[in-house]
Parts: sequence; C-alpha cells; structure tokens
Amino acid sequence: MKKPTIELLSPAGSFEALQAAINGGADAVYFGVEQLNMRAKSINSFMLEDIQQIAAICKANEVRTYLTLNTIMYDHDMQLLHAILKEVKKYAIDAVIASDFAVIEACNQLNIPLHISTQANISNLETVQFFARFSDVVVLARELTLKQVAHICNEIERRNIKGISGELMKVEVFVHGALCMAISGKCYLSLHAQNASANRGACTQNCRRPYTVTDTETNEKLLVDNEYIMSPKDLCMIDKLSEVVNSGVSVLKIEGRGKGPDYVYTVTQCYREALQALENSSYTAGKIEDWMKRLATVYNRGFWNGYYLGHQLGEWTAHPGSSATEKKIYVGKGSKYYPKIKVGEFAIESGSVKEGDTLMITGAAVGMAREKMVTLTVNGAQKAIAVKGDKITFPFGTKITQGDKLYKIVETANG
Amino acid sequence: MAKIIHYRSKCIGCGVCFEMYPDQWRMSKKDGKATLVNAILKKDVFVLPVTNYIQQLTQELTRACPVKIIKVL
Ligand code: SF4
Repeated sequence: MKKPTIELLSPAGSFEALQAAINGGADAVYFGVEQLNMRAKSINSFMLEDIQQIAAICKANEVRTYLTLNTIMYDHDMQLLHAILKEVKKYAIDAVIASDFAVIEACNQLNIPLHISTQANISNLETVQFFARFSDVVVLARELTLKQVAHICNEIERRNIKGISGELMKVEVFVHGALCMAISGKCYLSLHAQNASANRGACTQNCRRPYTVTDTETNEKLLVDNEYIMSPKDLCMIDKLSEVVNSGVSVLKIEGRGKGPDYVYTVTQCYREALQALENSSYTAGKIEDWMKRLATVYNRGFWNGYYLGHQLGEWTAHPGSSATEKKIYVGKGSKYYPKIKVGEFAIESGSVKEGDTLMITGAAVGMAREKMVTLTVNGAQKAIAVKGDKITFPFGTKITQGDKLYKIVETANG
Repeated sequence: MAKIIHYRSKCIGCGVCFEMYPDQWRMSKKDGKATLVNAILKKDVFVLPVTNYIQQLTQELTRACPVKIIKVL
C-alpha cells in the first residue's frame, strides 16, 4: 500500500488561533461562522464578512480552509445557510463540513466539496459508502477503535469506494482534544439540564462538573472515587501516532475551536513535528516524552488514548478545568514595535513583569509567540520589574502589532 | 414600565422563544435569529416595553433561552 500524505487539520476559532495554526504548521484549518456551527456559544465566533479575510490569509500561506456547518438545521436557517454557502463559493473555501442533510444537499447542488462531520458519527463501512455519493471525506466517530478505523480504510481501498469527485474516499480522525461523554452528536445532557442544545452549539458542559450521588431514602452520600463521574480526559494520540497513520487515515484533526492561540500553536506544532519524525524514521520515545510535556503546558484535562485502543470507558479527569502545567496571566497591551532593533513596546495594565519572565504575545498577525524576557526597560530606564501603569520595552524576536495581548507564563501546581 | 431586552446579535437561533411565545417572537428567515416583535433597537440591543403581566410571563423565557440573552427589567 502506498503511503498517503497525511493532512494535519487545526481548529481556528479566531484570527489569533488561525495565525497560530498556520505558524504551527497546519496543512488545513477548520472554522465556523455565525450561529450554525458547534461553537455557536463561543463569544468571538467569526462572522459572514470574515470569510473573505480568512480565505485570503490561508491562500497566502497555502493552507486549505474548511468551513463547519454542522449543527442541526431548522427551516428558519435556510436563508442564512445559503448566504454562507454563497460566500464559500465566492472565496473558494476548500470544503464544507456538515452532517445535516439540508447542508449536504445544498453543497451538492452548488458543487461545493463536502466532508461529513463527526456529528454524523460514522461507525461502519456501509455508512461511508452511503456518504460517498455526496462527499469526499468522512470524519469517523471518535468512539471507534483503531482496528475498526483500519478496517474501514482498508476496505475503502479494496472495494474502491470513490467519493463524489471520483477520488478514493478519505478518512479523517480526531487525534487530540476534548472528548464527549456521549457518542458525539447524541448528547442531550445540556438540553435536559439547561435547555441548551449541544447540537445547536450551546453545550453547557454538564459532564465537566463534579457530582455527588445521594441515596434519597437515607440521605446518605454514596462514595464515588471521583466526583467528575462523567468528564472524560482529553484525547492525545501523539504517543500512538504511528498506529494511527498506519491505519490508513488521510487527515488528522485537532479539536478546539473554543481554544486560544497558545493551545492551537503548541498542539499543531507538536503533531507537525511528530508527523515529520514518522516520515524520516526518527519517531523516538525521547521525542514522544518531550511532546507530551509540551502538550501538557496548554489547556488539558489529563490525557488518554480515547477509545482507539479499545479501553473501557472510565478515564475520567480528576480536576476541575485544566490540568495544564502552565498558565498565562494577562499583563498588558502592545503599543509599538521597532523592527530595526527588534524591540517591542507594551503598556502594563495589570499585575507585573520582571526580567527573566517567560512572555507570551498573541494577536491576529502573530498568532502566538513566546520568548524569555532578557532585559527590561521601564519608562525609559533599565529596571528589573514593571508594574501596572508602566510603559515597558524589551527585545522580542517576532514582530508585534498594536493591540497584541501580552501574557506572562507561570507554572501551575500541576507542573 | 417593564421592558423585555433581547441581545439579538448573540442569538443562536434555537427557536425556544418562538416555540413558547409565538405571538411575541418570530424566527427571522433572513439571518435565522429570533426577532422580538415590535422591539426598538437601542445601542445593539432590542428593547420592548411591556405590561407587568407580560413581564411575569417572560420570566420563564429568560431561563429557557440557552444563551441567556433575554432579560426583563
Ligand atoms: S431562545 Fe434565545 S437563543 Fe434561542 S432563538 Fe430565542 S433568543 Fe435566540
């Protein structure tokens, strides 16, 4: 079997994250606009007007663009759906990711390449064959084992199952990020508890909270070894990437359109390096350890290999929120950059920074960049520490733009 | 006078408000979001003066909206 080139697909929930994905080495990015995507609730979702700029940025960087339109659709959504698809056509977005048949039908009519979303939880070959009539890529259910994934990939080739474009169907799988406690796209927990439909992108993440179980007859609290009884750890396959690649998949997807540029950059970069290492046969235990360490620095709930290895359900997180070994603390805003001497100027708006701190800068143009601060100039004079209200300058290798956000990186108790 | 306030730009178009009070809400065919009938646009938000009775009724809706963008004052 000839080795397919693997595409690394990163999430872009904001212009910062988009640039971070590009800088991290993504081959393609996926993003949503308006309310018809699974991150509708997130505050800085892209708007219809942003499609043009996203397309331009990605084209300039030779990165493919996929637009997610994967909520359930209602009749009142059709006009917006068509308005979005019009922009998709106009700016040559590479494909739409969908699960609702209205979107599938509309894309087919408009000749827009289509990927079937994990929301359709495709779990067998016959379903792949069915969707081949409409699409070119299927995102398999996150609940399959690698064996099942490999079987589907092999059979696609053996039976020569071709997608709508005439090419062999491609299989995409998630390799990193949050997992659902339910089969993806079939969870009603949030809807029952808060009337907030996860399937319209309004998931309130009830599964991520701690719970106590009380016997209502005796009022006695039952002993459970972990209060987070429904919150699965995050998927991480970097230590099993050769198995994933050997299963025959074509696209590796990173979850996280709700995550920041630091997350997107770090995760994309680690997987890019791992793919390169696989290619030149230098995928070693030492490297894996290093990637795992770096991945642990950004938002995570602890890692496991998900359902791919056929483990029993039950790798539940033990903490509220993130188990990241580092956290970022917002300290100020960028005001200027002196490119000749490579110095950035910032206004400190909260907290303090001192020489030796590791700084992170995020913004639509830089994405995410981090460096250690070697020397610090405060209000024109060299000083060891700067506090709120100060104007600071320091050497920084990457060009920053006015309005960029400055964070300092500190280790957490998890480190 | 009591008021209903709708932060329309954040609406995800789930249709709950329309299901509960079809006289007061419409689902816009244009952008798929809910529209509070007869409300006036004031600085990004839609405001509708209502009677105390309607205000009482709408309390339920403020809880039902999944993104909590309907408020009564
Ligand atoms: S209930 Fe809230 S989110 Fe749903 S359509 Fe009405 S205003 Fe929009």
